[in-house]
Amino acid sequence: MRIIFKATAALLNRIRADLGRPHAFAHERVGFIAAGLTAAAGNVLVLAHEYRPVEDRDYLPDRSVGAMMGPEAIRKALQWAMRSRVALFHVHSHGGYGIPWFSGVDLRENAKFVPDFFKVAPQCAHGAIVLTEDAANGQVWLDRRQPCRSIDAFSVTGVPLKKWRTT
Amino acid sequence: MNRLDRQSFLGPESEHVLRQCTVGLVGLGGGGSHVVQQLAHLGVGGYVLVDPDKIDMTNTNRLVGGTLADAEAETLKVAIAERVIRGVQPDAKVVSVPDTWLAAMGDLKVCDVIVGAVDSYKERDQLERFARRHLIPYLDIGMDVHKLGKNGFLISGQVIMSMPGGPCLRCCGLVTEERLTLEAQAYGAAGGRPQVVWPNGVLASTAVGLLAQIVTPWHPKLLEFVYLEYDGNKGTIKPNARMELLQGKSCPHHPTEEVGDPLVRHSRPSCQTADGSHQQKHGEFSADKWQLFVEKDKK
Repeated sequence: MRIIFKATAALLNRIRADLGRPHAFAHERVGFIAAGLTAAAGNVLVLAHEYRPVEDRDYLPDRSVGAMMGPEAIRKALQWAMRSRVALFHVHSHGGYGIPWFSGVDLRENAKFVPDFFKVAPQCAHGAIVLTEDAANGQVWLDRRQPCRSIDAFSVTGVPLKKWRTT
Repeated sequence: MNRLDRQSFLGPESEHVLRQCTVGLVGLGGGGSHVVQQLAHLGVGGYVLVDPDKIDMTNTNRLVGGTLADAEAETLKVAIAERVIRGVQPDAKVVSVPDTWLAAMGDLKVCDVIVGAVDSYKERDQLERFARRHLIPYLDIGMDVHKLGKNGFLISGQVIMSMPGGPCLRCCGLVTEERLTLEAQAYGAAGGRPQVVWPNGVLASTAVGLLAQIVTPWHPKLLEFVYLEYDGNKGTIKPNARMELLQGKSCPHHPTEEVGDPLVRHSRPSCQTADGSHQQKHGEFSADKWQLFVEKDKK
């Protein structure tokens, strides 16, 4: 079973533009992507459809990390997942080009908060995405009790089409 | 010498990109048979071929690759298409579905592009909705012959490139409630509608050109939305007036949140137990359930 993450180029462009905005004190911005799911020919497709940035006031000052979300940011994300029954993916950007990977801090924090999304939307998969200017990579949890796994492939719908494998 | 050397302007990686590309073709009659032949020559490596019909003698005026022997043997149109592909792409990955596209949904979901060469507005409408639900570009081709009273006949047609989020067939005015209603009431010229080979060739070639632009662009001025109309009496194919008006506009008919499988999205959540732990309830997908989910879809 492969996990394929799909998004339109228009959505990814909007996300990159938003994450590139400066913040008053955080070094980087973060947000959440909502997605639908479907099974297809032995794969699970994660189909991104909406992005919501973490609001300016919901960051906490913390010089040890690029961006620290406050409890209100998490609460809003949980509420979104619960009300809309969507698969939710945390997203941030490392900038640059090529297929990225999460930092040690990213991996630690993802493992802390992503499984919480199953409390409110247990029927979905949830995860985290890291972007560069031309690619992405990600982790996905299919079950809150199981370890996460890497997203196997990405597909960007636009003109031109782009797709790449990560595993 | 590589057979694709003459199209190297499509990009240094174009051969690999095309080989990795999977195209869903729904409808393998007059229009679809041209498309599949050209995609094979182009070097597309993956195909999901969908058509429930067998060739008959009246198809042989336009179905590319179909022979009189096929008509006598009542060969499936998907089998003819696969034979055409294998003639130039012996190692192509081909999934043939001799059924309606509804029976091929699992395979169509993983296509990079879907090309619809179907007869009815209802089928167009449903196929486009399906493509958008799975974030797949949809290319629609269609032709018709209209009687002009004492002035003979008009051959017309269209090629539309519909991208998720952008203008759709309804935005174009091609699919309308009136047409769907008329079609449902069988007021339309269903059945033996007039069809000829060359307009299908023009429309199919145009669609293949658009597909090549999506997959292996060779110039920078790429359009996200294309609506071309064909006038077979004048011999022209040109942008429909709506193409410029709708360029860059979003679609009000297909909300962007309508993606994925609604059965997954609207399953019931689990409930918290008295001790605060979460118990798995109907609707929660364990890792095993995910495996069953994809296996069930495969069948």
